Amino acid sequence: MTCDDVERDLDPYTDRELPARSAAAVREHLDTCPACRHRVADREALGRMVRSVPYHEAPDRLRARIAGEIRRSHSIRRLYTWAAAAALVVSIGAAVSLMRSVGRTDSAMAVAVVDAHVRSLMADHLFDVRSTDQHTVKPWFLGRLDFSPPVIDLASAGFPLVGGRLDYVSGHSVAALVYQRQQHTINVLVWPTSDPASGTTASQVRGFHVRHWVRQGMSFWAVSDLNDAELSEFARALQPA
Amino acid sequence: MPSRPFEETVLPHLDAAFNYARWLTRNDADAEDVVQDACVRAVRFFSSLRDGDARAWLFAIVRNTWYSRLSRRSRAEVMPLDQTAEEPADRGLDPEARLLQQRDVGRVRDALDRLPIDFREVLVLREIEGMSYKEIAAVVRVPIGTVMSRLARARDRLAAVLELAVPVERLP
Repeated sequence: MTCDDVERDLDPYTDRELPARSAAAVREHLDTCPACRHRVADREALGRMVRSVPYHEAPDRLRARIAGEIRRSHSIRRLYTWAAAAALVVSIGAAVSLMRSVGRTDSAMAVAVVDAHVRSLMADHLFDVRSTDQHTVKPWFLGRLDFSPPVIDLASAGFPLVGGRLDYVSGHSVAALVYQRQQHTINVLVWPTSDPASGTTASQVRGFHVRHWVRQGMSFWAVSDLNDAELSEFARALQPA
Repeated sequence: MPSRPFEETVLPHLDAAFNYARWLTRNDADAEDVVQDACVRAVRFFSSLRDGDARAWLFAIVRNTWYSRLSRRSRAEVMPLDQTAEEPADRGLDPEARLLQQRDVGRVRDALDRLPIDFREVLVLREIEGMSYKEIAAVVRVPIGTVMSRLARARDRLAAVLELAVPVERLP
């Protein structure tokens, strides 16, 4: 290999883009040629200089604008889904089928919630914030969500809070609160809703028990492999009178 | 359709997208507008991402957004350069070294800003984003050989501006 060859391969060599054999040939030449060593050193120094220039980080106002755009596009998509569902209902033309479709939507949501629960356990991504202190968990969600989920510790009722994370259920960001009962994990997924307040409904998906209620503009979904009676107890404890 | 939602796939690259846009546009206001428009497009075309490299995909959209804006504008229009802000220098250095470092960083940035856009962007993608030639080729939509030759010429120019040694026969 000659100095001209090194000259030609100077950039891919310093960028580590040369095939192993060519790189070895360049290295061999460098061992014997101070001038080429100098060239390589200059290229590396130039790279360090460029990398020393500070990174331009996205300003917070840009983040906020983009979060707004994403929310808007999600709600437009929800509107389309709704319009499609409404058209279907009209074509069937009966109030009964409307009620059924609401029921179906809820059971589809129960499946999505169970999926989120299983995902959190399988992917070993149960926590973004691990703390038994509600005063640590609640502020953690600030700035990560555009709503503030109610966070209560239920240690005194036998369901200690163990942490929280962000999750995604059918297209929106939700707060996931994680509680523990002995070896069982309970995920509570919370997000804002315009649905009216409702009492607790129970369902079962693939062997997991699910409880759902709406309270103060928030939709709550509790899911666990805990037995039915204890999950009911948990749901009651989470809804103080 | 990617298996994970937009917020998890694309948004982690927001800082990188802004940094790239900032180097393309050379001012904050344009960079913010370009990244916002690019994200709106990205949401719309999210299903086309598959499970590929989200960063390179987002960068390509940022780049297209900027070029379509540029072509709408008069090419002759002079882009205002932001006032160079004080650089946060390494606090571990003594005052003199800190001054030197600030001056050097400012000099390198000015030199980069004065490079032609084709040269500037490959340097930023390679040195600051650490992209491979293949990734850069995907963002800039040129063959890998072109990426290589642009990088070589960009570095020669930059070294010349910064008055570093450059092989004489390669001076542009």
